[in-house]
Amino acid sequence: MGKPGFFGPLEQIAECCWKIPRSYKPGMLVDGLIYSSEQMIEQIRGDQAPEQVANVAFLPGIQQASLAMPDIHWGYGFSIGGVCATDPREGGVISPGGVGYDINCGVRLVRTNLTFAEVQPRLENLIDRLYHHIPTGVGRRGKYSFTFDELRELMEQGTRYLRGRQLATKRDVEYTEAHGQLDGAEPDLVSDRALQRGADQCGTLGSGNHFLEVQVVDEIFDEPAATVMGLQAGQVCVMIHSGSRGLGYQVCDDALHRLRGVPEKYGIELPDRQLACAPVESPEGRHYLGAMRAAANYAWCNRQLLMWQAREVFGKVFGRSWEQLEMELIYDVAHNIAKLEQHRVGDVDKQVWVHRKGATRAFPPHHPEIPEAYREIGQPVIIPGDMGRASWVLVGQPGSMQQTFGTTCHGAGRAMSRTAAVKHAAGRQIAQELARQGVIARAPSWKGLAEEQPEAYKDVNLVVDVVHRAGLSKRVARMRPIGVIKG
Amino acid sequence: MYEVFEHTADLGLRIEAGDLPALFSEAARGLFSMIVEDLETVVPASERVFQLAGTDQEYLLFDWLNELLYTFETELLLLCHFEVHLEPNSLKATARGELFDSARHHLAHEVKAITYHQLSVRQIDAGWRAEVIVDI
Repeated sequence: MGKPGFFGPLEQIAECCWKIPRSYKPGMLVDGLIYSSEQMIEQIRGDQAPEQVANVAFLPGIQQASLAMPDIHWGYGFSIGGVCATDPREGGVISPGGVGYDINCGVRLVRTNLTFAEVQPRLENLIDRLYHHIPTGVGRRGKYSFTFDELRELMEQGTRYLRGRQLATKRDVEYTEAHGQLDGAEPDLVSDRALQRGADQCGTLGSGNHFLEVQVVDEIFDEPAATVMGLQAGQVCVMIHSGSRGLGYQVCDDALHRLRGVPEKYGIELPDRQLACAPVESPEGRHYLGAMRAAANYAWCNRQLLMWQAREVFGKVFGRSWEQLEMELIYDVAHNIAKLEQHRVGDVDKQVWVHRKGATRAFPPHHPEIPEAYREIGQPVIIPGDMGRASWVLVGQPGSMQQTFGTTCHGAGRAMSRTAAVKHAAGRQIAQELARQGVIARAPSWKGLAEEQPEAYKDVNLVVDVVHRAGLSKRVARMRPIGVIKG
Repeated sequence: MYEVFEHTADLGLRIEAGDLPALFSEAARGLFSMIVEDLETVVPASERVFQLAGTDQEYLLFDWLNELLYTFETELLLLCHFEVHLEPNSLKATARGELFDSARHHLAHEVKAITYHQLSVRQIDAGWRAEVIVDI
């Protein structure tokens, strides 16, 4: 069985927006809207992702539209790149599938004061040391281990907990979305199974599409914003992509198990079991929210510890402390999360639960929830691309509040399935190919690299072009990879 | 028999067998074939017994695979041989395998979770077919 395409209606309603009208399927409460370009929309029709956008429109209490970003691709339940906001006062639901298994998967960008010329002679040594020092892949335990009681504290306090352990600075906490801590986390609702899976995985990269990349700023598109972030052309940065590891997967799994039969109990009809949900204002809904927020806080700690280990390695390789190397966190964003936020729907200001499943918050300038230093330029948005081409830094724009509940894209989005990518790579040595392009890649298996090869992804530049033109977020800087470690 | 089918960001597993116990046993082998590069490198040295309650075949398949995944992730126990017995309301299985040894085993994927998306167990002419998509 190949992947069947989408043959339903997709009507272009704006330069960068296509609509699946709610008349497409009985049960849709709102339209589906997909942000894309003429060049990308045909590829989007190529799998079931648009069907999933239509399915999300069934969720009770959904506001405005079921949305999807240009990096949309076929997921389970929700599409990857999906956004949906629900109003609890209109019976709005919370759906674990709208967050995903990897709760608070996200990205952070760390700058250095090193130039490419300074790093290049030691690059291979640097990447090898990062690969050996930072636990990656399946079956590697982390260097940090937490007792269940410590984990519960960590999940309640987020990265602030790591400050107490001298593993985070005040600045690190401040430059993390939500200051690395969602209020209302209830670690007591996280199962022993989840704790067991999470006890020695905080500070590990994981596998799949997760990575740690050393990058060079290639081109600046918005000089003033880049200056505020301390970015300039030729500078070396570190990008980290990971989430809540086994702890988060287990929290999602536990929640879905608890939700068996629950939609039926509340009279909710769903086109896909993976969309299982409960009203926000229900015991089941509140239980998930308490545990999900705890897992989200764990994920921020995971990325913090990954960054901390990267700082240690840089310090050793370059013979200077990370402070001397000015390895400051530019920002950390979540791209698999649900958050209670204030948004204007029609003429009314509402508190809605925004589900971002492979989508990034992109608050515009002057939004109270972004750090003081970024108030004039907007929230930094970190967009990882593939390991051969580029990654981006954007800033949130007012259009995101008007159109997409303060949201933009999250990455390149897959163009090939994992199996297709492996076939495409047959007989090739991906690591050597990347080396010829100037990228040193370290990964435990050929297959892992094959599945994640650059050609398996859409061109991130095209994705960024759409969100830029649609006014959701603005280009600030493009980075190119020079080294990557994968699980 | 089992085969891996494509699903954009994740992997699908399609299993066919003459009867339900064989279907569950093949599904388990299919799961471990995604976790480890070559299932033939795993030696059935130690034994583990699993017991699960449930009546819905799809949920039971889900719970079975989920239990195996949890066992692997917390104990690094790779399993390769399965004997499954199904009662009307439960599953009992004996699984054999060994602990992960990086010198002999190459891990292929981190399976994050078993998903409910397009999960199916149904009868076909030749017996039973199941499909399950796992999150990578």
